[in-house]
Amino acid sequence: MKQSKDPFEAAFEEQEDSPPESPADTAVDALQNPNSSIVAHNSQSQPQDQLQLPHDDNAKKGASQFTPLSGSGRTNASSSGPFTATTGAGGSGTGMKSKEEEEEEEEENMDVELGKFPSSGDPDKMAKMQAILSQFTEEQMSRYESFRRAGFQKSNMKRLLASITGTQKISVPMTIVVSGIAKMFVGEVVETARIVMQERKESGPIRPCHLREAYRRLKLEGKVFKRPMSRLFR
Amino acid sequence: MSSSGGGSSSKPRSASFQPSETSSKRKRGVFQKELQHMMYGFGDDPNPLPESVALMEDIVVEYVTELVHKAQDIGSQRGKLSVEDFLYLIRKDLPKLNRCTELLSMNEELKQARKVFESDEDKLRKVFEVDEPVE
Repeated sequence: MKQSKDPFEAAFEEQEDSPPESPADTAVDALQNPNSSIVAHNSQSQPQDQLQLPHDDNAKKGASQFTPLSGSGRTNASSSGPFTATTGAGGSGTGMKSKEEEEEEEEENMDVELGKFPSSGDPDKMAKMQAILSQFTEEQMSRYESFRRAGFQKSNMKRLLASITGTQKISVPMTIVVSGIAKMFVGEVVETARIVMQERKESGPIRPCHLREAYRRLKLEGKVFKRPMSRLFR
Repeated sequence: MSSSGGGSSSKPRSASFQPSETSSKRKRGVFQKELQHMMYGFGDDPNPLPESVALMEDIVVEYVTELVHKAQDIGSQRGKLSVEDFLYLIRKDLPKLNRCTELLSMNEELKQARKVFESDEDKLRKVFEVDEPVE
């Protein structure tokens, strides 16, 4: 993996090609022909209600938890762009620059994106969403944007899956599904870690100890799979 | 500078389950860039700590590994993995399940849109090809 495309760049290019927006996976390659029986069109309206809610909660949670921190957040983050070159080589430096370019252009794109919410969604929910989004501060908007746009790269996920299963053919819908599941799992861990930080009354970036504690709690709740050994008398 | 809780410098790889039959060397930082954006989107600092990102990557890889192994256990009767195995595994977790069905249906929509686009393109091309020899 010499040059991984910045997901923001990839997302930006895909935006011009395909009108309907796919939040988690913006890079849709040449698609194979999976079984159409997988797709569940019938229960579209019902899950939408439940679906929008978690996203709403995410956005709101992000908003409520970070308005007090926004002041300190600004001072911590240096003046240019969110991601300074703290991690490793100049790859992240160039990534940051393109992200800055994206940000100006993305503002317009964001309005276009938001208009293309799932078409079969509740108009009521959509109106609510629009009302909430219009009142976001800049920091909340950029965070929300990261939330929608970030996703695992398909090629990386494909490689990982192939290495786990032992070089089986990995279909594209499978990578899509696994990427979606993994992204939501990351969200769960990060949110639980933030809760842990609140309980310990700490602030600032999330530290590994918080992540470990969050992971432990999720395991207790049973949200992380355990290997099914001797489940009988547990 | 050692952080208070994370005094142990060793990453928790020894604790995480590593499949022995696959490649023993796992490249570091495979998902780093995306994970940074993602963690920011979910509520972390705009600059997540690099060790947090690395730990998160380990957690995610372990999660995906266990997920796939479980799916293989289920789908082994069929002989190969299918998407339905994954959907069955997360059936208890409603948000994830809904999200996956949404993603899959959007995938189908995109495919349909592309098919229409390509068939239109073919029609246009044919129209042009008819015109050219006449000139």
